[in-house]
Amino acid sequence: MSINPDEKLIMELEGLRERFNKTTDKIIRDINRQKKIMERSDKRQRQEYDEIQKRVAEVEALNREIEETQREVVFTMGAIGESRSKETGNHVKRVAEYSKLFALYYGVDPDQAELLKQASPMHDIGKVAIPDSILNKPGRLDDEELEVMRTHAQLGHEMLAYSTRPLLKLAATVALEHHEKWDGSGYPRGLKGKDIHIAGRITALADVFDALGSDRCYKKAWDDERIFALFREERGRHFDPDLIDIFFEHIDEFLEIREQLKDDY
Amino acid sequence: MIRGAVMEKLHLEATQYTPEISLDPNGVIAFTGKSYPENTFDFYQPVMEWLDQYFGNELPERTVVNMEIIYFNSSSSKLFFDMFDMMEEAGSEHALEVNWIYDPENESAREAGEDFIEDFDKLTINLIEKG
Repeated sequence: MSINPDEKLIMELEGLRERFNKTTDKIIRDINRQKKIMERSDKRQRQEYDEIQKRVAEVEALNREIEETQREVVFTMGAIGESRSKETGNHVKRVAEYSKLFALYYGVDPDQAELLKQASPMHDIGKVAIPDSILNKPGRLDDEELEVMRTHAQLGHEMLAYSTRPLLKLAATVALEHHEKWDGSGYPRGLKGKDIHIAGRITALADVFDALGSDRCYKKAWDDERIFALFREERGRHFDPDLIDIFFEHIDEFLEIREQLKDDY
Repeated sequence: MIRGAVMEKLHLEATQYTPEISLDPNGVIAFTGKSYPENTFDFYQPVMEWLDQYFGNELPERTVVNMEIIYFNSSSSKLFFDMFDMMEEAGSEHALEVNWIYDPENESAREAGEDFIEDFDKLTINLIEKG
């Protein structure tokens, strides 16, 4: 029995319609799935980004906490050293600021200058190991006592040198070299010129500048002209000539630090 | 792949971006971990081929699919939809169950499981919250 052409056409069209409907259903289903996936994904991205921002804020807060703790520990260590060396008040803070200023004008990279600012207050930490009988002795030390006193540089270095932290490594260098002199007549190693680490050269000058300009129970502050005369005299002897030049070039800034951080009596 | 060939196990170790995948022709299929490959469809291609061959072969009495995906990108979601399509079709004449396992803290994993259940009314998907 033969199928007439119309019936054949209808069968073909019905087949097409069925396939078309199936395909349409599938496309509609896929569009709906895609929409759902996008909505879920957007929602999750929002949550994830919120979470990231929250975590970043936490990390930043922790970092600030760590940095502040470090700063306090460093100043406290400096103050411990200074309390043994009859320095008082804001001495360590002023030395820190002078050191950073010297470093910046000398051309030290700003991160390193900041590190030196934090390291320089620890230069006298070795004095905690010097006996009171020598440290607090009224009058001049004899040769043997002087020898003991001078070990504070090496002792300070040993206290700090165990660390691999850049800050404490730098502090160890400062402790070891802050009594070296440009002409090689300092201690403990008698280093000369640029063999002395820049941090040691800077701290030496910053420490002396502040000590001379401050009143102490055992001495009056020198007036500025006397300090400047000494600096001119010791340029290239005790002190790095470039640092002395920096000092006189930017003297206003050094005096401003001294004014802002002056001791209250 | 050749239909009727003897199926072999397929095991993929987890990486930073992809889950551990274990495909056992004895009827145990498992995905565990994270899924955000750089090119999701390329990564899953051998898996999809294995499944295609598995469902074309003589099947064990039942198939259990354990999915514990803790993190996934949107193309992985799309791929899971495609995979469940394949399973739904096979499941009409075969005992197949999907266990979608999630941590109670993981809201997006739970929601994805709910979406799958909504979309596949002929496929058995159990939401299993980890204790």
